[in-house]
Amino acid sequence: MNLKNNREVLLSVAADSVFLPLVISFVENGAVGLGLGRAEAMSLTLATEEIFSYLCQIASPDEMVEIRCSGGGYYVRAVFLFSVEDFNMRAFNLTTTVSVDDEASLDEMGLLIASRTVERFQVLKEKGKGVQLTLIKEKKYPASHDETVPQARPLKEFSIQEPNPEEMKLLALLVSSYYQDSITPEFFEYPGKFVDMVESGECRAAMALAPDGHLGGGIIWRWTGLKTVECFGPYLFNQKPDSSIPESLLEHCLGAIAKTHAVGLINRYPTDDLPKEHFEPLGSLTFFNKDGSTASLTAYFRQMQEDPGTAVWSHPELEGFLEGEFSRLVLPREIRLVKDLGETKTHFSVLSTEFDRSQKVVTLRPIRPGLDAGTNLANHLKLLSRESLLSVFFEMDLAEPWHTDFTPALLKHGFTPRLVLPYAGRSDMVIFQLGDVAV
Amino acid sequence: MNAPPLDKLVPEHIKRFEPYIPSKPDSELIKLYGCSHLFRLNNNENPLGPPQAAREVIDRFPAARASIYPSGDAYHLRHKLAERFGLDPEQFLVGNGANEVIGFVIKAFCQEGDNIITADKTFAVYEWVAEFSGFEARLVPLVDFGFDDEEMLGHIDEKTKIVFICNPNNPTGSYWDEERLRGFLRNIAGRQIVVVDEAYCEFVEREDYPDGIRLIREYPNLVVFRTFSKMYALAGLRIGYLAGDRDVVDIIRRTCVVYSVNGLAQEAALAALNNQEHINRTREMVREGKKFVAKELDLLGLPFVHDQGNFMMIRLPMSDSLAYRKLMTQGVMVRTMTGFRFPNYIRLTISNMEAMETFVAALTKIVHKGEKA
Repeated sequence: MNLKNNREVLLSVAADSVFLPLVISFVENGAVGLGLGRAEAMSLTLATEEIFSYLCQIASPDEMVEIRCSGGGYYVRAVFLFSVEDFNMRAFNLTTTVSVDDEASLDEMGLLIASRTVERFQVLKEKGKGVQLTLIKEKKYPASHDETVPQARPLKEFSIQEPNPEEMKLLALLVSSYYQDSITPEFFEYPGKFVDMVESGECRAAMALAPDGHLGGGIIWRWTGLKTVECFGPYLFNQKPDSSIPESLLEHCLGAIAKTHAVGLINRYPTDDLPKEHFEPLGSLTFFNKDGSTASLTAYFRQMQEDPGTAVWSHPELEGFLEGEFSRLVLPREIRLVKDLGETKTHFSVLSTEFDRSQKVVTLRPIRPGLDAGTNLANHLKLLSRESLLSVFFEMDLAEPWHTDFTPALLKHGFTPRLVLPYAGRSDMVIFQLGDVAV
Repeated sequence: MNAPPLDKLVPEHIKRFEPYIPSKPDSELIKLYGCSHLFRLNNNENPLGPPQAAREVIDRFPAARASIYPSGDAYHLRHKLAERFGLDPEQFLVGNGANEVIGFVIKAFCQEGDNIITADKTFAVYEWVAEFSGFEARLVPLVDFGFDDEEMLGHIDEKTKIVFICNPNNPTGSYWDEERLRGFLRNIAGRQIVVVDEAYCEFVEREDYPDGIRLIREYPNLVVFRTFSKMYALAGLRIGYLAGDRDVVDIIRRTCVVYSVNGLAQEAALAALNNQEHINRTREMVREGKKFVAKELDLLGLPFVHDQGNFMMIRLPMSDSLAYRKLMTQGVMVRTMTGFRFPNYIRLTISNMEAMETFVAALTKIVHKGEKA
């Protein structure tokens, strides 16, 4: 990701509650300086207070925590970094220290409280690195409901160009006007946010523009994960059915990422105008509309490079699904089964939880294996059922044999393997979704 | 021991860059894709193998010679090239494949803030080497699958040091005739280095195709690349060269890695030169193969692009990366073109009839299966 205007401020501080006022002041003033309004900065500060207080409880007072605040155009990010050795990893299970059967104690859970006041919350533990706890608070933008949408007309001539901010706003208005909510990401409802997303480098956009300035269509793409790019569109505004605009827009997007490290391009919100011959249907995911109804959308995918083949790990209960998918997608894979041969295993597992409240999505990822995988997962689900989040995903990286330990518990608790994303992690990633309905 | 602070140690332009991952060895691919044999139709290799004289050099190369350093600057080969082209030996530089000499030229002429110009859809290494060296690569869109001379001239500014032209172009096969190349060089008027990559020149049979090396006397800013990997089938030994004006080559030599070309490669290349019979046989095979594949593609209704060179590009009604995987399961390896910014195209190396027939059969199968789906 190439974020422009990504100024950053840093604070390194001991995990001692005497420094709590300093940390609060740092994040609050940093957030305002980086562009958040007072109200949003206060929300981020409240989350920070919860996080830092929690870290002070679980670490000794001389352990160091680094806090980084950075601007990303439409948001401010606060990242808490600390070494693994200094903390009990188990404490980063969202459910630790509370009883999920005790309603009162649930409200005392610092990490969960912190997650509620921000748009995105993530605990990440990368192999060989420390723990990274991230809070993202977005700026507030006016919705586009009252804006007048200009008429679009079929274009006889067009060129593909990357839009300026005014053209981006127009593009967002047209997308919201011509397409249903269920196949458009929410940022199109906030044209100002969309402009900031593009200007900050988080996503890129291209449009089909007539010589007289009329807009015929557009496409947006952004990185999602380390090796995958997600595209939205192509969107077409009142063009003839045989228009070459969708193909030209998609080819522009493909050309822009052709020489990057992207291994795949995914489209999870396909429109009727998506040139499907460029893609393979990967599987389907269920999304929730604003009114709570559900829509199952096929995710389309294409590899950007020649597949060199690889070996992946699987639990025996997932083998059939993987065999079927690898065969259907003609992916050269050697499936290696993970077997329990009585070796001693750690008792407590750790799951990271990422909330994306603007998308009403929560994603669980394994951080550490443990014999309590089933109980831990069940506790997480119980806790999440109290949040107003609808889609629950679980990401399993098939490069990690121990990730597959969670398979029986996932299946038992109603998760279904929905799709395999080639090379989306260190190897292929299996995306599980919890049922078809809300928890 | 702490891990090195890579975030601080690595320059920004390298962080943005991604390593090129070559294909796995054939034996591994065969195992993973479950095929029994693999036709390598992805790298524009010559299936006829090296010319007879080069084969003999390779066959009789004494193992004991492996312990002795080769000529550090390919002395004998440069003298033979000079004799062959009527130039001075000092006007040649030999590298470990033509890819290496691309790096020499960029290092010799570019410094911070400079740029190079080439096409958006051509051999990727000019753009690749420039960018990982920290220089801007300005990419000019092809027009009708060919280099756009006027637009390239329009992209030149005071920071432009080198213009790269692939003639004929890989992967489209288009070429500039002599008049067009001369016109371009006249317009440049010696202000920038113009590199003409002639990796596939021996495959060209057109009268109006320019011999770049012959033009060096008239245009001292012209540098010509050639390789022994394609027509001469010495890809496994890695040897290529550049030719240019003596003063220009003298500058490039300063960045050149000596001893990078092994002795066997130097001797085999020396023997391979001037083998017209080998060139004629290869050209005949390519003509026959192209004619056969073109006819079959017409029957399948698949558009294709070809002109000069031992390759053609085929537009598929599916993702090229999916086609690659499906063809691999049938023992055919092609090059996907998304990385060349031609999504849904594959590039096929024109090979012998057995390989071409296998390719057509495999392609027919995957296209028809796609239709049913």
